[in-house]
Amino acid sequence: MITKDRLFKFLLALAVFAAADLWIYSTLRNSIRSSANAERTKQLSLLALGVPDNPEYIEQWLGGVEQSIEGGAAVYLRYSADDPELYDTLAVNEDALGLWQSIERTPDAEKGLEAAYYLEQYASTVALEYKGQKARVFYAPKPDEEGIELLGIAIFIVPEAAGGNLERLLGIFALGAFVFFAALTGIAKLLRDQIVGYAVLVLTLLAGVFIVFPLGEAFRLSFLKDGAYSLDVWTRSLSGSSLKALWGSIRLGLWTASCSTIVGFVFAFAIYRTSMRGKRFLSAIAQLPVISPPFSLTLSIILLAGNNGLITKQLFGLQNFSIYGLSGLVIVQTIGMFPIAFLTLASVLQALDSTLEEAALDLNASRWKVFSTVTLPLAVPGILSAWLLVFTNSLADFANPLLLAGNYRVLSVEAYIQVTGRNDLGGGAALSLLLLLPTLTAFFVQRNWVAKRSFITVTGKPNAKLVEIASPMVRRSLSVAVWAATAFIISLYGTIVAGCFVKNWGIDYSFTLSNISEALSRGGEAIRSTVTLAAAATPIAGILAMAAAMIFVRKSFVGKRALEALMMTPFAVPGTLLGIAYILAFNKTPLLLVGTGAIIVINYVIRELPVGIEGGVASLRQIDPSIEEAARDLGADESMVFRSIVLPLIRPAFITSMSYTFVRSMTAVSAVIFLISARWYHMTVLIYNFSENLRFGLASVLATTLIIIVMSAFGLMRLLVRDSGALDKTITR
Amino acid sequence: MAKNPVAVTLDRVTRIYKNVKGRPDVVAVRDSSFEVSPGELVTLLGPSGCGKTTTLRMIAGFDLPSSGSIRIGGEDVSMLPPNKRDTATVFQSYGLFPHMNVAQNVAYGLRIRKVGKTESDERVKRALSLTGLQDYAERAPGRLSGGQQQRVALARSLVVEPGVLLLDEPLSNLDALLREQMRVEIRRIQKSLGITAVYVTHDRVEAMSLSDRVIVMKDGSIRQIGSPNAIYEDPDSVFVAGFVGKVAFFPVDVLGLEGKGCVCQLQGKKVQAGKMAPGVEAGKKGTLMARPESLRIGEPGAGVVDGSVRQNVYLGSSMESFIDTEYGELLVQIDDPAGKKIAPEGQRVSISFNEAQVRVLPTDNG
Ligand SMILES: Nc1ncnc2c1ncn2[C@@H]1O[C@H](COP(=O)(O)OP(=O)(O)O)[C@@H](O)[C@H]1O
Ligand SMILES: [Mg+2]
Repeated sequence: MITKDRLFKFLLALAVFAAADLWIYSTLRNSIRSSANAERTKQLSLLALGVPDNPEYIEQWLGGVEQSIEGGAAVYLRYSADDPELYDTLAVNEDALGLWQSIERTPDAEKGLEAAYYLEQYASTVALEYKGQKARVFYAPKPDEEGIELLGIAIFIVPEAAGGNLERLLGIFALGAFVFFAALTGIAKLLRDQIVGYAVLVLTLLAGVFIVFPLGEAFRLSFLKDGAYSLDVWTRSLSGSSLKALWGSIRLGLWTASCSTIVGFVFAFAIYRTSMRGKRFLSAIAQLPVISPPFSLTLSIILLAGNNGLITKQLFGLQNFSIYGLSGLVIVQTIGMFPIAFLTLASVLQALDSTLEEAALDLNASRWKVFSTVTLPLAVPGILSAWLLVFTNSLADFANPLLLAGNYRVLSVEAYIQVTGRNDLGGGAALSLLLLLPTLTAFFVQRNWVAKRSFITVTGKPNAKLVEIASPMVRRSLSVAVWAATAFIISLYGTIVAGCFVKNWGIDYSFTLSNISEALSRGGEAIRSTVTLAAAATPIAGILAMAAAMIFVRKSFVGKRALEALMMTPFAVPGTLLGIAYILAFNKTPLLLVGTGAIIVINYVIRELPVGIEGGVASLRQIDPSIEEAARDLGADESMVFRSIVLPLIRPAFITSMSYTFVRSMTAVSAVIFLISARWYHMTVLIYNFSENLRFGLASVLATTLIIIVMSAFGLMRLLVRDSGALDKTITR
Repeated sequence: MAKNPVAVTLDRVTRIYKNVKGRPDVVAVRDSSFEVSPGELVTLLGPSGCGKTTTLRMIAGFDLPSSGSIRIGGEDVSMLPPNKRDTATVFQSYGLFPHMNVAQNVAYGLRIRKVGKTESDERVKRALSLTGLQDYAERAPGRLSGGQQQRVALARSLVVEPGVLLLDEPLSNLDALLREQMRVEIRRIQKSLGITAVYVTHDRVEAMSLSDRVIVMKDGSIRQIGSPNAIYEDPDSVFVAGFVGKVAFFPVDVLGLEGKGCVCQLQGKKVQAGKMAPGVEAGKKGTLMARPESLRIGEPGAGVVDGSVRQNVYLGSSMESFIDTEYGELLVQIDDPAGKKIAPEGQRVSISFNEAQVRVLPTDNG
């Protein structure tokens, strides 16, 4: 609670701390500077002593100086033996020469020359601009061998930044300490709800450091070239080949989104609007691809229809058939992503009020007429929503194109190649930022426009009675289509399992168990690290998500909307971009995290938080706030209420969010591929490596292992959630 | 189950909700001061939106005053969070913990206070039997009736022996019969424990029948504080008179003050009023109020105003007669109707009143 007295004390504490902070900072900075200067002067005078006597070698020496002082240069004034006032100016660098000529007549330069003339070094205190950077000039004499006569003066142009790295770090720490102190004392002194204050602080820090900062760095670095601001990266990125990749991504997205929506609609309609058999089984199979690891569908398609595919080569003996490219990609992406459309449309079709259809049928409209004039129009917002969701997913997809694109180019892979193949981080950042444009657009249209609309047309109550508007003929054909698709999906997974036991797919189909032992011995370390990292991220993401949801639903504070929006952004940001942003941001002090397991865990947590928060928010909204108030009133403090009341009540959301995090982290690839190290490897990347090297047996074993782990995690979650299902009904009385 | 009851004091408490998204500021509670004595049950009564809940939530600590201070048992608690205050609230929607059974719900406050197992069991048992729930200890709250849930909420609050019990429209979710029953029971328990209680309701019958004192609120301001009888018989304003019971109003000109009452003119007729509220001045306009039981029906022209009987409603021990007059429909209560001659519906009559019982109020615009 803010009172004048407390505010005064707070400001006083801040002022005292700021003064101390500033004092320590400036003292340390000055000592760093003076020691750096002393070091520099010593180095430069040694350099000057090394000026060759033979004038012919001086140019070479000048070139050498540019190598040894990064971003710097030198000019050499060679004094004539006859006239001590006359000198030749030697330089190998136009810029350096120009700079020198521009200051030659200034008092400072004269002072420098005079000092050097008397065989002393001189460090100018005047800051200059050299090649767009702050620089300083040093004057160092070159005496003859006896050290009596002056032969020449070396003038060094040294960029300021060279000694500045330590200084920058010091500045960051000083500022960080102050901000941190201000936030902590502010919360302790001024807020009544201190726990909320600390929680908001933690979330803000998380969002600031691990979302805003890396994305900002990616953005900034895409405008840098050799340390200077330039549009070069972007002009390159907006040139033909990258634009082609952008168009490639969009074209793939259009195809996949359309195919997936159609398949998803057929499944949803068949299962929820007709009296077909085996609905539960079909619906379970239709959701399988969502949790299956990346590369697994691609792998199985390659096994079946690749260059040495079972169907294409062995069965039909096709020679020129290639699954690599757009059509292959559309197939695997559709199989992998139609479940998104299915789940979206299932809830829409389930909620559709069938009394409307019934009414239309009563009016003697034909079945087709009812479908096309009632059912379909009512489902349109849902269809659009599904389409957009798949579209964003397809654009952000990285794993499938990586293995299957062939010569077809998409942005996510292009960005990856830019980074890993050409070591061009800025270019990679630019390409993945390019990807952000269509994904963000689709994401926001879906969120703010389509998703809102679907609430208007749908009554929201699942209807117990089913009005069959499909004729028996239609029903039978739908049934056949859906079962055929399901059989195909099952056979894809079967292929992977089969792949585990085949010696050399495509060449030698004899049975073997050696793949298993080899894969487990070569991949054992990766399996362990993958599980460890995912398991570490799981509780962190779960608890953070629930705490954040609690704060967003129940508390009000300045900037809540902004923080909420910020925490949700990783949901819409393609993994490739986030991965690149992370290596750009965390490969330098003070946050040198690249190469550690921590950065991977952080990346998982940040990426999976949005879904967890959404789940938590939805289930908290169902809970009467007076339940928490009652606990508070009975003496429980904020954290006790969270532990003893809130968490148990939102347990289903909590468990779901944790298992979701675990599964998604186990199957991560697009961001993590940039962050792995020898110590912290990821199974999916290993599967990719094995596939690239045509070791399909090993890849199959790992993919199968991953599927088993993921399915067990999901099974466990189901068990835990069902157990608390009875709770749902009683929460809102 | 009660320790020494404590007093609650509000001193010039104001709560302003700052304008959210361009809407103007809402003054939910304006400059409220009152004191609840130890062991007393005081009701906050007023129409919906008048700031009752906000006042109660400030006492409990869920809301903070924008200015002013709140004391509980002499200690200034204005800035303390709810868990540090010696209050327990019975919420309108009960707020039972759905993941705990009845006994666990009731024991929650004791668990937080780290009361030992044996003592806790003992106290929970007593609270359950006090509220008639001894047979439901193992039930999940979702499988209780509304009245039983209400009792659980009450038991849960009582078991921690709070200095102050706060109740926010605790009966509004119950049906009429149950409501009456629970009303009596709450009062019985409160009295037997001697606990200080603040009770919020918009139901005047509830307020009148429960309370030691009633605080009538409107638009965030306290309009009157007094015993149920005083509020009913001697309201200070037209609003309070109308809100706490059936009443007939007559516009009058105040001619002169006379002891406790005054002489006024009603449509040319001089009338005596036995009582008057503060703020009534000679030479100004006023409003004369008469409760149904202080009105009488007589021959046309004999009383103060004439009218015709629109409807008679027999209620057994009394009868209500609705008379159409130029001041609108007036209600006259006739006690012991059996032994009286009753004007039939449609007949022209006049109304006169018991001058000792009528009261003149200052004419205000609220
Ligand atoms: N959190 C809030 N934000 C803004 N206005 C509020 C809030 N809570 C209550 N109000 C307003 O304050 C006034 C008093 O509300 P309340 O105390 O709940 O009334 P009562 O309980 O008497 O019905 C109302 O006008 C209400 O709209
Ligand atoms: Mg209220």
